[in-house]
Amino acid sequence: MTCEEITGLLADYLKGGMAAEESARVREHIEQCAACREDVAMWQKLEAVPDEKPSAELSSRFNTMLESYQQGRWEKAQLAREHGKFLDLKALVTWARTPAFSVAWAAVLVIGAFFAGRYLDRDHNSTEQLTQLRQELRNTQQLMVVSMLRQQSASERLQGVSYSRREGDVDPKVLDALLHTLRYDSSVDVRLAALDVLSRYGNRPEVHQGLVEALQGQQSPLVQLSLIDVLVEQHSSGTADELKQLETNPKLDPSVRKRVQWGIQQLS
Amino acid sequence: MVERQNSSSRKQLMTKAMSDEELMAQVRGGVGEMLGTLFERHHVALFNFFYKLTGQRAMSEDLVQDVFFRILKYRQSYRPGTGFRAWMYQIARNARVDLLRRQHPEISWEPEMSPAFVPEDQPQQDQQAFLLRTALLELPEEKREVLVLSRFQDLKYEQIAEILGCELSTVKVKVHRALHELRDIFQKLEAGKLQRKAGPQGPGIRPGSGSVQ
Repeated sequence: MTCEEITGLLADYLKGGMAAEESARVREHIEQCAACREDVAMWQKLEAVPDEKPSAELSSRFNTMLESYQQGRWEKAQLAREHGKFLDLKALVTWARTPAFSVAWAAVLVIGAFFAGRYLDRDHNSTEQLTQLRQELRNTQQLMVVSMLRQQSASERLQGVSYSRREGDVDPKVLDALLHTLRYDSSVDVRLAALDVLSRYGNRPEVHQGLVEALQGQQSPLVQLSLIDVLVEQHSSGTADELKQLETNPKLDPSVRKRVQWGIQQLS
Repeated sequence: MVERQNSSSRKQLMTKAMSDEELMAQVRGGVGEMLGTLFERHHVALFNFFYKLTGQRAMSEDLVQDVFFRILKYRQSYRPGTGFRAWMYQIARNARVDLLRRQHPEISWEPEMSPAFVPEDQPQQDQQAFLLRTALLELPEEKREVLVLSRFQDLKYEQIAEILGCELSTVKVKVHRALHELRDIFQKLEAGKLQRKAGPQGPGIRPGSGSVQ
């Protein structure tokens, strides 16, 4: 039997449940052919990829959707949509909700206003207006970040976090929102991403304070570890006390405890 | 209140004994709550399907939510008596294709984000699983899909043929080719051609080492 012939059969062989005679033929080929043998080994290796657990948020989101369906709201929305098919309002709304659209729209408005302003008030100093224009654009972006951090879907919140890192000079409101995300977001990924951005502003006292506070309430060992690293790196005076306090928590994850002890050592 | 609880737990017992197909027929007929049981049965497998395809947790969760939304929305298109899971995976594929189409190429925040995912997915002693996941993600889209469906999703080749809309023999050949290519990629990775591990030093987190999230 050649590799060519084996190709269709090998798939069956891998899954098992093949007739004894055929599987004996496949095995015979495999014993002689290194390439096919390695393919089989690869299939078995894949066993090592573990199943991951989705976050609890997934179930609660599903339940919310199902509830709204049960209460008939969904049906009504559906009906309304059928009526509005002519304009496909929903697609329009979905499109208008995308961040790209918001940015484009903001840019159109601001640029439009700029030219309108220039037209109406020609004598005015244009550099001053340009500064103002930039300021307005920045405000819009910040508003967007803050609103994205409040989205229901974790990936949209992640996008919000990553938008915030594009700004050179971050607004206190955005920092506030990021600190809130770090403490209360249900997704570990989002919290970690928020921490990553915040760590750049650790030299600001309000951020530093926020990070310290976040450490006490944090449940996820992963976020705890990253937080400790960021705090220790900043070498500020209050951190050691906070770490000592954290160490007294009996429920602390063993790996986090080790890290805490390491951190205290670094700071002393 | 007590009575209501009783009746709901009885209902749960009842739905437990029902097949996916029976439940879906009920959902199709307007009994939406049956979808809850289908969700319980399949959401973890679906999540892992998407996670292996995309390597991204948040996106995979969004996709699972989307699939169940679509099941509800397109419930009339389910033909009673046909396999539920094959139908569900067809919807899952569509959801993913639509997402890819919707995504704007200019918002490419993945590479920047990815380090945050690495430690979680890669406990120190599980290099192998990390390499395997990486190798899977290096496979071309189509091959990755057929391999994930056949290796991890507990589907028969006949079902996969139905999901992909191709011949049974084609599926088998595709599985073997994908496996072969994966093996090449994996060997290269193992040889250390792709070094991208840069997690924090120090004690790692073992899976299941106490403390809840």
